[in-house]
Amino acid sequence: MLPGGIQLLWLALYLVTFALHAVFVGYVVVGTGYALVQALRRTDDPIAERVRDRLPFMLGCGITAGVAPLLFLQLLHQEKFYTANLVLGPRWGAVVPALIAGFYALYLAKAKPRWRRLALGVGLGCFVFVAWSWTEIHLLMEDAPAWREMYGAGERLYGNAGVVPRLLLWLGAMATLFASVAVWWQTGAERKRLAMIALVGLATCGIAAAILVARGASVEPAARGWLYLLAAATVLHTGGWVWTLRAPDKSGPLLVAGAGTAALLVGAVVREAPRLALIDAPRPAALEASGLATFIATLAFGILAIGWVVQTIRDAKAE
Amino acid sequence: MALPYYPVNEFGPLMKGLVIGGVGILHVFLAQFAIGGGLLMFAFERRAQRGDADARAFVDGYFKVLVLVSFVVGALTGVAMWFTTIQVGARTIGLMVDEFHWLWATEWVWFAVEVTAGYAFYRFGPRLGDAARLRLLGLYALASWMSLFWINGILSWQLTPGRWLDGDGMWAGFFNPSFWPSLLFRTAVASTLAALAGCVVINTMDLPAERKRALIRQASRFAVPIAGMPLLALWFMAVIPADSRQWLLGGSMPMTMFVGVAAGASLLIGGYVILGILVKRLTLNIATATLLLALAFGATAAGEFVREGARKPYTVRGVLYSTSLTPGEVRELRVTGAIVNDPYPLRDEARYPDARLEHGAKVFRALCDACHTMKGTNAVVHLVQTWSDDQLRLNLAKLQRTKGFMPPFAGTADDVEALVQLLKWERAGGPATWATLAAEPDPRPQIKRWLDEVGTAPAQEAR
Repeated sequence: MLPGGIQLLWLALYLVTFALHAVFVGYVVVGTGYALVQALRRTDDPIAERVRDRLPFMLGCGITAGVAPLLFLQLLHQEKFYTANLVLGPRWGAVVPALIAGFYALYLAKAKPRWRRLALGVGLGCFVFVAWSWTEIHLLMEDAPAWREMYGAGERLYGNAGVVPRLLLWLGAMATLFASVAVWWQTGAERKRLAMIALVGLATCGIAAAILVARGASVEPAARGWLYLLAAATVLHTGGWVWTLRAPDKSGPLLVAGAGTAALLVGAVVREAPRLALIDAPRPAALEASGLATFIATLAFGILAIGWVVQTIRDAKAE
Repeated sequence: MALPYYPVNEFGPLMKGLVIGGVGILHVFLAQFAIGGGLLMFAFERRAQRGDADARAFVDGYFKVLVLVSFVVGALTGVAMWFTTIQVGARTIGLMVDEFHWLWATEWVWFAVEVTAGYAFYRFGPRLGDAARLRLLGLYALASWMSLFWINGILSWQLTPGRWLDGDGMWAGFFNPSFWPSLLFRTAVASTLAALAGCVVINTMDLPAERKRALIRQASRFAVPIAGMPLLALWFMAVIPADSRQWLLGGSMPMTMFVGVAAGASLLIGGYVILGILVKRLTLNIATATLLLALAFGATAAGEFVREGARKPYTVRGVLYSTSLTPGEVRELRVTGAIVNDPYPLRDEARYPDARLEHGAKVFRALCDACHTMKGTNAVVHLVQTWSDDQLRLNLAKLQRTKGFMPPFAGTADDVEALVQLLKWERAGGPATWATLAAEPDPRPQIKRWLDEVGTAPAQEAR
């Protein structure tokens, strides 16, 4: 079922970098929504304040982290990804101006209280549009029979009934990811609130998954082991949130982080499972490309350099 | 044959070169501004740490501009470049990703370091000690320049693959003949752009005129590398293929004009900065600085257009034509036909009165649409407006001889004739009926002879 050799490495890098990207974009999408709700209610709280402050940085990280899975996706599913891009055409390309508009909206929301509600509303609209577009293109990539018909008809919207529940599943997961990151910067009542958000997110995931199963979605037999792992990690993750809800200043967030990371990585594998059989036949140019050693050396340097930056900031804060 | 057919999108009256050019020029301009900006701020930070408080204020102000402009629009237009390239040449970007993905991944690591160091400085710079500030800016400047280093090798490979064509491997392609002149040229451009943007920012600072002037003189020194650009341009011209050089230096008037615009604008900027500011010690107010920056944008745009245009008839020299076909595939399609395996219907099928015209429209989509529109920019109908029927047939069949920067026609005599009929029909305003079979005697045997005579080799050898 799994590809071999260098393709397996591409797949592993795709999954890990995709999971990293998901953490940042989850924070941005749900963080923007949270900040908007608080702004509309005019009940500014410590969570919203911190979220607004960090949203532009987190979006920058999300976009940067998103470049890597985009690269490896083009190695694994080149023809399908390119075709789906072309079928959706300029409508798909609209994700870029949407992200630019959303990015500036976050800066505006941070700097100008007067424009905050409008800016956050625009930002949230842009980010949900991007999330919807990615869900759409993911499903369209797997639906080769639809390409010809959509192209011929000039259809730019992929009206697959799976788009909405899948997007719902992602929004639920994003809520959990948002809470999992934000919880480390909060204490007491704020942690309880974040635990509630995470649990609602997990429930949303459950409902969306049930809808998808009812609609005929299934996990291939070879990936069932991963599904069981995902279930186990999710149960532990849920337990971590329940613990945090009851005792917010205990070690619940540690369990949340550990089990959540496992659930995210295993979930990425489960998400990818239906596409494993569709991975492109190996292309000689890609298989024979050199430069892996350069990448590994640069990656090691990059991790050290980013670690040094983080440490420098910590030191500055401590002083 | 495993020739992938991708669906083709049209962009109204815009030819695809304008679409990718529009996104690409903006991205290159912003990316080069960010690279030069890193170097400029590192230098100003050193000056600040020797006691120049104005330099410190400039660094913090300039960085805000850099983050707001380059980190947002610059980064996202980079993503847009990928998406747009897929729209206009999916096989080209696919080949580039296949060949260089580890180097692209390497570039991504540098980009991640650049963004991390940049945001850290933006957010915590004022709270950091001198040594940490300098190291952080140094890391940011290094990382942003390294991004250029890696992407420059991939882009210059498209025009001058060098020994890679002889099977010498990826590194031979990366360190190709135009790698070093391109890298140094782009570094000089980046430095100049940063200097000009710096002058704009300095003019917005609340400082007495004399102190502003001192800062502007400092920033202007970063534009001095522009003096080396003529030599670097000559070096670049010397290593590119002879036919590409010929297009740029008179063989193609539009390309020659773009070379002239890039050179003229650079000369004006260089002349003003070096003679006006550094020698004559004139000041540079915000209007002039902005004007020079706009000129620099024009020079960047013209330069990028030249770089893209010089590759014709290829997108990757010797490997992939602008039609997204390899030389081997052209030979194959001469036998099988250009569209026989194309699975995609026409979106406007109902427009065409008969099957021959539909055939022609599919041939146009497969072989012409990458660089031409039917009636918009670089419109085929306008280009062939005055050609007679036989001239059309001959010129399309012997396309690489008609214009040396065109690829060989990748189809059969039937494809040529279908395209000829389509062009005539479009030229006639697209009437409701069309007698496509009226041509007597059947022109296809003669077209076949022309196709055989000219063969499938390009006008100029790729090596």
